[in-house]
Amino acid sequence: MIKVENLSVSYGDKTVLDSISLEIPTGTWTSIIGPNGAGKTTLLTSLLGMNPYSGSIKFGEIEAFRDLKRNIAYVPQRPQVPLGMTVREYVTLGRAKRDGWGRERREGKARVYATLEAMQLIGLQDQQVTRISGGELQRVLIARAIVQEPQIILMDEPTSALDLHHQIATLNQIELLKKEGITVLSTMHDITLGAMYAERIILMREGRVLLDGNASSVIHSEELKSAFDHGISVHTLEDGHTVIVANKMRIEEI
Amino acid sequence: MSEIQLKPIWRWQWTLMAGIFLLIVCAVAITIGPVQINAIEIIHTLLGRETSLSDQERSLLIEIRFPRVALAALVGAALATSGAVYQTVFRNPLADPYLLGAAAGAGLGATIAITVARADFYPSLPIFAFIGGILAVIATFLVAGRLYSDPGSLLLSGIAIGSFATAVQTFLQQRNSDVLRPVYSWILGELTVADWSSVRWAALYIFIALGILLSVSKILDALMLSDEEAFSLGVSPNRIRIIAVCAATLATATAVSVSGLIGFVGIVVPHIIKRLTKKATNRALLAIALFGAAFLVLADLGARTLISPAEIPIGVITAFIGAPFFLFILRTRSKNQ
Repeated sequence: MIKVENLSVSYGDKTVLDSISLEIPTGTWTSIIGPNGAGKTTLLTSLLGMNPYSGSIKFGEIEAFRDLKRNIAYVPQRPQVPLGMTVREYVTLGRAKRDGWGRERREGKARVYATLEAMQLIGLQDQQVTRISGGELQRVLIARAIVQEPQIILMDEPTSALDLHHQIATLNQIELLKKEGITVLSTMHDITLGAMYAERIILMREGRVLLDGNASSVIHSEELKSAFDHGISVHTLEDGHTVIVANKMRIEEI
Repeated sequence: MSEIQLKPIWRWQWTLMAGIFLLIVCAVAITIGPVQINAIEIIHTLLGRETSLSDQERSLLIEIRFPRVALAALVGAALATSGAVYQTVFRNPLADPYLLGAAAGAGLGATIAITVARADFYPSLPIFAFIGGILAVIATFLVAGRLYSDPGSLLLSGIAIGSFATAVQTFLQQRNSDVLRPVYSWILGELTVADWSSVRWAALYIFIALGILLSVSKILDALMLSDEEAFSLGVSPNRIRIIAVCAATLATATAVSVSGLIGFVGIVVPHIIKRLTKKATNRALLAIALFGAAFLVLADLGARTLISPAEIPIGVITAFIGAPFFLFILRTRSKNQ
């Protein structure tokens, strides 16, 4: 269980997160949605223990702040891509916490290979990570998070650079992790996709939580439309699936 | 199946080759000079056997040539390794002890030691140089705006701090004209003053620094990622940065204090090894140290033989090789971007 109470984060005079309180049960998938600048990424990095904060973030009974022992995997939206490292080496970094830096244990090696296979990255393993496409890099980042065998996985826009086929394949892999008892938190600009996989959605705007509930109740709420300034509409298809699309503005509205 | 398809990450072939290359270069450098000494005689001398060498030749070998080659190797290893570490820590392939102000700060510290404190060369000079170097690095961080800044602004502030330290150093030299000549020749970079005392002191500090850097080399992988990614992998990036920068500055300062300002070794060597091994610099740190040692022994061989019996300052030789190499990297980098 992750318990967040009155979490506030400021950068200078700017309050980025404002008194956020949440409870996230173990083994669930929570999607954080909201317009740009809502504080979604800051919430994720705060859970990582990176940002100085006021309030409390507790994993069980332990305060999160700078607890390096906890095994949390992080998939950034804009990673720092290192020079001189192959895809396989980059993915293997995910084993550092379990196997030690620069060490390759048999079990870790097998796990890396299995994950490269599951993420459809076999064939790319010896390529320099600086030379692969944005979509391939995103799958590599998720592979690194998976081999970490974390308790919690934080993902910042994990599918933004993926084509439709790879979006589903990747999210299915993450769903398997959830079934193994891993807690998943993701920010997603594609609300439809977020609602399809996450059982719970947190809607944020301007550093505050506007709504927190099960996926269906949030996507059909008025708060969702108002968070996006009524620029979206929600449609229910014949098969019962819900899709959220941006409204096309008329020229005179721009 | 997985073990067949996945190649090992850490390979030692290049380290072994760099070690063999260093041994060959050292053997050649000891043999060649104004007085040619047979390699067999050198081996006999090393093994403490009877040789046909005259006392003068024996003294030349043991008191001049051996310490000079040893000091060149130590300085080369220190400069190349610290350059590679700075490049990893600051995520910038052009970072080296000179661009961060570390070498200029160390130079100023050593100049203060010679001109103001009139300090003996060993062991106090490396300490003064280290204090100067580390203060320059701290100043570079502070001028950059905050303790840990982005690599670009860090390098710019390093250049500014380096220029300031050089200006103060020039001022001190002019105010102390009695020591102007030795300080000036030391600044150009030279190994002519090498003796066993300088080798011992340099070895002590450089081995401590290199020991620290090699022990953290694998964890330096984390510094090539964003701070958030490093943190999620269980590393406090700032702690590793402080350790790595302090150890690299100690290596730089010791090198500067025994040999003056020898530029470009920290850029040329890590890039050659990176191109050969196709590995990130921190993953080939020992190979870089060994190759750096061989590189400077070769440069020193050139310095003392090209216009023999006169000598070219070794800093001039490394600049002749390094400056075009630096421009080549700069050009390749901007093309890639």
